[in-house]
Amino acid sequence: MIENQENSRTENSVLLDLNIKRFRYSGAELDSLQRIEMNLAPGSLTVVVGESGSGKSTLGEVLAGILPRQGADQCLGTMNLAGQRIEYTDLESQRINVAGWAKHVGLLPQEAGHYLSRIRERVAEELVFSLENEGVPREEMRQRIAGLSKQLGLDHLLERDPAKLSGGQERLVALAALAISEPSVMVLDEPLAGLDSWATDAVTEMISRLRADGTAMVVLSRTAKPWADNTDALGKLVDGQLSKISAEEHVQQPVSEPTQWRATPGEAEILLDFSGVQLGYPGAERPVVDGLDLQVRAGECVGLAGANGSGKTTVLKTAAGLLRPTAGTLAVSASTGMLLQNSSDQLFERTVLREVSFGLPKKGKQRLRVPEVLSQLGLEAFAETHPYELPASARRLVALATVLVREPQVLLLDEPTEALDSAGLACLQEVIDSVLNRGGSVLLSTHDQDFMHRTAHRVHQMLGTPESTTSGA
Amino acid sequence: MSPNLLLPEETSSQVLRRRLLASAGTLLLIGTYLVLVITQPTGIAEGLGQGVALVTFAAYLAAAVMLLVAVLPDLPVSTLTLIPVALALNIILGQFVGSVMVPLYLDSIGTVLVGFLAGRRAGAATGVLSTLIWSLFAPTVLPFAAGAALVGFLAGTAARFGALRRPYLAPMAGVVAGVLVGVVSAPVAAFVFGGTSGVGTGAVVAAFRSMGDSLLSAVTKQALISDPGDKAIVFLIAALLIYALPKRLSGSFDFIRRYRVLGQRGTK
Amino acid sequence: MPKSINLHPFTVLALAAAVVTMATAANLWWVSCAVLTACALVAGWTGHLRRLAVLSASILIPTFASLLLIHGLVSQDASGLIAAAGPFRVTVSGLETAMVLGLRTAVLVVAGLLCTLLIDKHQLVAAIDLSPAPPQVGYLLAATLFLLPHMAEKQRTIGQAQALRQAGTGRGLSGWFQRVRLRAVPLVLASLQDAHDRSAHLSARGFPAAGSHARLRTVADSVTQQRVRWVALLFAVLGPIAILAPFWGSR
Repeated sequence: MIENQENSRTENSVLLDLNIKRFRYSGAELDSLQRIEMNLAPGSLTVVVGESGSGKSTLGEVLAGILPRQGADQCLGTMNLAGQRIEYTDLESQRINVAGWAKHVGLLPQEAGHYLSRIRERVAEELVFSLENEGVPREEMRQRIAGLSKQLGLDHLLERDPAKLSGGQERLVALAALAISEPSVMVLDEPLAGLDSWATDAVTEMISRLRADGTAMVVLSRTAKPWADNTDALGKLVDGQLSKISAEEHVQQPVSEPTQWRATPGEAEILLDFSGVQLGYPGAERPVVDGLDLQVRAGECVGLAGANGSGKTTVLKTAAGLLRPTAGTLAVSASTGMLLQNSSDQLFERTVLREVSFGLPKKGKQRLRVPEVLSQLGLEAFAETHPYELPASARRLVALATVLVREPQVLLLDEPTEALDSAGLACLQEVIDSVLNRGGSVLLSTHDQDFMHRTAHRVHQMLGTPESTTSGA
Repeated sequence: MSPNLLLPEETSSQVLRRRLLASAGTLLLIGTYLVLVITQPTGIAEGLGQGVALVTFAAYLAAAVMLLVAVLPDLPVSTLTLIPVALALNIILGQFVGSVMVPLYLDSIGTVLVGFLAGRRAGAATGVLSTLIWSLFAPTVLPFAAGAALVGFLAGTAARFGALRRPYLAPMAGVVAGVLVGVVSAPVAAFVFGGTSGVGTGAVVAAFRSMGDSLLSAVTKQALISDPGDKAIVFLIAALLIYALPKRLSGSFDFIRRYRVLGQRGTK
Repeated sequence: MPKSINLHPFTVLALAAAVVTMATAANLWWVSCAVLTACALVAGWTGHLRRLAVLSASILIPTFASLLLIHGLVSQDASGLIAAAGPFRVTVSGLETAMVLGLRTAVLVVAGLLCTLLIDKHQLVAAIDLSPAPPQVGYLLAATLFLLPHMAEKQRTIGQAQALRQAGTGRGLSGWFQRVRLRAVPLVLASLQDAHDRSAHLSARGFPAAGSHARLRTVADSVTQQRVRWVALLFAVLGPIAILAPFWGSR
């Protein structure tokens, strides 16, 4: 139950008052949300923390009026917004006007790119998409863009192609596109996830400027750490139930122990041997990687570090046999298995069990390993679930399971921590340890400094100039 | 001014206008077809030929556009975002299949998919739009818009009456759809283009011609050979794709829920 | 460097429509050839000649081959016999028919493709948005044009991902079917999920517009161009009637 202490600023003006008894998706067997109470005052910051699958995004979509969908989801409760009272039980007969609702409550989804229409040539046009749909005159749109761009410091992005922005820039643009309609409440789902320090600063700065103008902010996040200082209310969502917690309580969570450094077996067999390797794509002006010398020995975990576009993924794909060196030699003396960064591309079966067992001989040894791998990754309960219905973290682990079940000697991981929650991280750590213990080796790339230090025996710094504009993908 | 949080009911005059437009489009299509089949205009290369070509082209295209305008405002946003995906799928999967030398077109998978998921109006709109946009890259497909609309419409109709509840029913519905689509599209091929646009299909038409058939009946027979098989496979592939969707996604389509399109599969 | 011309997209389309309908109605080989030459000149002047040639050829070569088979090889005309063997009869008028029909299609294809190359996609979308057409049309066109390269790229990465799993290496018909499934299912799943996720935000941003809608982008237009469009459309409809009317009497 979250209440705002800071009502003093604008006395008794509550923008939004939500009371949900329960919410259940159409066809689901369990409630996704239960007993949620929230009220928001102008300029306040409310933080709701929760693990992957705890119902954060569902809560965000209820606040934004996207859920419940008419005639499908079940919802009990009331919402007071902009002087109107919505009884959710009445929604059987009436439809929510999502566009009208969005003028009061705007939602920035976890995947910020989903907020962008993707059909405009320049960022400036993307920003005013909602104004265009309202039929706002052209001159007024220009003024709104100029004003917002000045307020939020966006001038350098206005003429860019929205499809070619980096992750951080994309989130800034989506936030601005949200802000241009001047909603009184903004709900931000994981606004800082996956951003480097520069982008984190830029997004936080934008959020405080919007708050200063009186916008109430709701942040849904895995961790309260970056917000701890100036939060008005902090809540924790566990299995769809919201409870109030204090800032100290949350920040003082145990940090996972660093794994013990094994002495690298210096004389162990070399499993991967790059010498003078040059990698490039046909038609490109210059190679992505040049003169790469790297040996990975059995029992060793090597991390690849470097800016976006420095060729980390290319090196991993080459080790997996997807690309061939254009010069130099690469000797691979063991079986490899690779986890891609966007691992959903690999999934196509109806259930997790079928997915992981795909292509394995009916009576082979590997087939027998399937249940073992599933339990190692904590996926037993999901064996009969559709991979796309899993939370992002579990879905990533399913992709990892499809790799592990073939027992590769060399495990190649491209940004393995992305999308993983803390339980998933623990599983990943365990998997890496077990591969190393049985004499395999691991080559991985990651932006996550903590994880890199905990996991890798050594770090190979990738050289090469980052491509500043094309790294958005 | 505070915008309303709930939507008002739709007025019946708007609905009536769209119904009229859709009926007019359908009537124009059927009328043109019947006139062409009954009068059997001959003399492709003489003066009359061009007139028939232009009238057929214009009538089929106009019918398709009328249907589109009638249907579009009815479609919910979840269907509207589906349509571009379907159009791209038509083109991309069509190309992938084409590149492995299988003698089928399979260029309507996306259209059938939308028909299955969102119903016959959405399917018909997808068919027309697919043709209009594809014509930017291949202008000759333009007059086939009406045929494409029929594919989507029939896919939606089939799904509504249970063709997806058993895997073997989908290809059977596809055969029926293929027969109808082949018959309706044949006049376009015959009168606008004087034949077909592929070498393989052209050879079949030539074979019928050599047996003394008129151009229209030769093209119709060729269509009756190619289309049912093609549509049977397309319906089957689209059905298998739908079965592979997570329930939360397929269940989010009103059409799927209302007509229990997936039968037992949907509730499992 | 290809340049794009500074005309309203609808002007280009209206001119093309007029040219195609009148050339079809005239049905004279030299008119068709003149139109084709003119298209080639415009394409050459704007730097699109090469692409126009490649794109047109890929459509027109199969079409010509098919027409030759249907009309040239098994002609039903009695006169002007050139060669005959079994069911095959090659006649002068049969070849003429194939050529005339082929040229008729060629005018449509070349003029249509030239429009596509000349018109800036974003300007076309803006022009449609600013016209009285339903607001959905512009979005659907723009989204499809954006998705095409995006999904083709996605299709490639899916192929890679499946190669990593050593999936889809079967042979024969079942192998082919398996490969189609491995490519199609993740592509369809991912894109449908993506479309579904986006739709809620799209409606939150007020799409489709209920009342009047506007565009930030301007599409250059002038009174002259508007007049040209009306005249072109008039010609597109009345031109063929004027050309064909004398034939009706002689039926």
